[in-house]
Amino acid sequence: MSVVDYAARNRLRIGGTAVALVALAALATVFDLPVADLLTVGTAERALRAATPIALAAIGGLYAEKSGVFNIGLEGFMIFGALSAAAGTWLAAGSGSVGQTDLWIGIVVAIAVSTLLTLLFAVLTIRYEADQIVAGLAVWFIGLGFGPFTATVLWGGVSSPTLPNIDNVTVPLLAEIPVLGRVLFDASPLVLFTVLLAVAAWVVLYRTKYGYWVQAAGENPEALDTAGVNVNRVRYAAVVFSGALAGLGGAVLAIGIGSGFTGTGVTMVDGRGWIAIVAYLFGNYNPLGAFGASLLFGATDMLQVQFQTVGISLPGSIVGLFPYVAVLVVLNLVGYTRVPAAVGESYDTEE
Amino acid sequence: MLRASVVERFAIAVAATLLALLLGSVVVAASGYDAVEFVSSLLYGAFGSTSNVAFTLRQSTMLVLAGVAVAVAFRAGVFNIGVQGQFVVGGFATAVTILFLAPMLPEGTVGGVLLMVLGTLAAILAGGAYAALPGLMKAYADANEVITTIMLNFIASGVVFFIVDRYLRPAGASAPNTENFPEYVAFPSLVFDSASFSVVGLGVALATVLVVYVVMARTRFGYDLVTSGHQEPAAAYSGVDPKRNVVATMTFSGMVAGLAGAMFTIMILGYYSDPSTFPRFGFDAIAVSLLAANNPLGVVPAGILFGGLDAGGQYIGFTLDVPPELVDGVVGLVVLFVATPELFRMAARRTGLGGDGR
Repeated sequence: MSVVDYAARNRLRIGGTAVALVALAALATVFDLPVADLLTVGTAERALRAATPIALAAIGGLYAEKSGVFNIGLEGFMIFGALSAAAGTWLAAGSGSVGQTDLWIGIVVAIAVSTLLTLLFAVLTIRYEADQIVAGLAVWFIGLGFGPFTATVLWGGVSSPTLPNIDNVTVPLLAEIPVLGRVLFDASPLVLFTVLLAVAAWVVLYRTKYGYWVQAAGENPEALDTAGVNVNRVRYAAVVFSGALAGLGGAVLAIGIGSGFTGTGVTMVDGRGWIAIVAYLFGNYNPLGAFGASLLFGATDMLQVQFQTVGISLPGSIVGLFPYVAVLVVLNLVGYTRVPAAVGESYDTEE
Repeated sequence: MLRASVVERFAIAVAATLLALLLGSVVVAASGYDAVEFVSSLLYGAFGSTSNVAFTLRQSTMLVLAGVAVAVAFRAGVFNIGVQGQFVVGGFATAVTILFLAPMLPEGTVGGVLLMVLGTLAAILAGGAYAALPGLMKAYADANEVITTIMLNFIASGVVFFIVDRYLRPAGASAPNTENFPEYVAFPSLVFDSASFSVVGLGVALATVLVVYVVMARTRFGYDLVTSGHQEPAAAYSGVDPKRNVVATMTFSGMVAGLAGAMFTIMILGYYSDPSTFPRFGFDAIAVSLLAANNPLGVVPAGILFGGLDAGGQYIGFTLDVPPELVDGVVGLVVLFVATPELFRMAARRTGLGGDGR
């Protein structure tokens, strides 16, 4: 899809974004907000970091939905990812202090655990034709229960002990580029990975044979079947990919940018899996669009820090609700998205 | 799930619960605890003594009410995942009404009854209005109600916490709690001698079940609701405006959720507090409703079962060192299995235990 095509097909979306930007500018003028202080390299950096877990889950989720399975359990898989990343790190470190290697082991454990769990979810939804919405909600509830449960078994409380972050990586030369250099190439490697993944996901989905299979599995499974491709195998791959990425997103939250697993309330994932679903809907199932939308939510997530730095006093508990309000605004703005035709339908090959 | 017969639904519900409990026990054993002790403590905590039964019934009251709220929407083909938020907003409306009107009304039983009735009405209105929002968003902006209602849950908790913490917390209080309600605002404790459970609350829940059942099964409104859930074209043909129907469904569901909030506030709390610390009745209610195949009458046994699980789980939390969160996980497993009737059909066919094809 070229840029012009995209613009033509998404007039409402682009118009809505423009209206929102104008409204923000008007607000800034009326209240004389120090806009220059709000829009700094630091802002971009923080927004990108906050966007990373959302973007990972969103890119996975859109693959699953493109292939015909609505993985509404992203939130739950993120909880499992966050928990197993913290647990993996903690177990790898043993009694010693937590080193960088331990953190990477934690990430691998998180991906492994969430891949395994999504495989079970995929079997239930694809093989046993479970109601996708209800099963996805169940994944969330199971995460909300077993996440803090496992934490209590391991650490005696619903949260993990404080764990360090993965160190920033500085790419020589590229880090010298003004703005972009600092934001991307002198940052957490997970941020850079997510940006590259978004681009790769776009290329695979729209420019490779495998991407067409994924799209066909969700739009016209009969045709794909006739072409001799196993529809359910494509779906299994897409769903497992979505869970693995959601798990990685949770891991990023726990040990990439956060400092361990928090199991109180709705856990530290705190709705980011749901926000991820809205992010890819807003991005119209385009990985790059989903990444952009995640950035938008990442930025709203960081508003609190921004407001504090420029001295706007709004109570934290209210500013903390901005991402959720933003989700509602976006959902109402986007309205009808063209969902892949065969989403939610199980596919039986005629035997 | 809609294709299944009553017997099959019942069998699936039982099988799903047993399988979830079995898996829960396996997890308990795998984490190094005694699974037999776990199950026996679960049973004792639920039904072992009078006070345990009272606690079970208290949780059941809440789960039956919240479960009916979920069932109303699911029956009409709308996913109301926002029962928790509507429950929070409803209970908050009750608390504000009671605290605001208490000084103006006479003290004693008359004032108490009046306050409770007005507080409950406020909850029903507030719950309905809060649920109408996602209904309107779905009907007129095509926004997915699963996501809007979940976002509204977060928003309800955040905003209510802010108001309680900022404006309703008495000066010098350390916790974000409102003042206590006057002593005469409480249900009489009949049958069970419990400070947080009264048969009156259970009666309200059962009466609500009956009212909802009659509305759904015997009125034009209920008929339209259910047909548009199952057969949208047919409903549209018979003159039902699908958009208005979605809003009405959500509002009706939210009114029941608001009522649940009123019962929680009056019967259990007697004040109001930070909603993020409340039990997640609105989520467990989804399991209750699914187990009951979204039938308002079926919600009663399902609600009692989950009330027992909940009470048993909390008892375990006090006595054994098994974390009570385990029960939340088991509830999630029940939801997962109930969503997968095909799994049990296949198992039944394999083992030859009934299940004569589809």
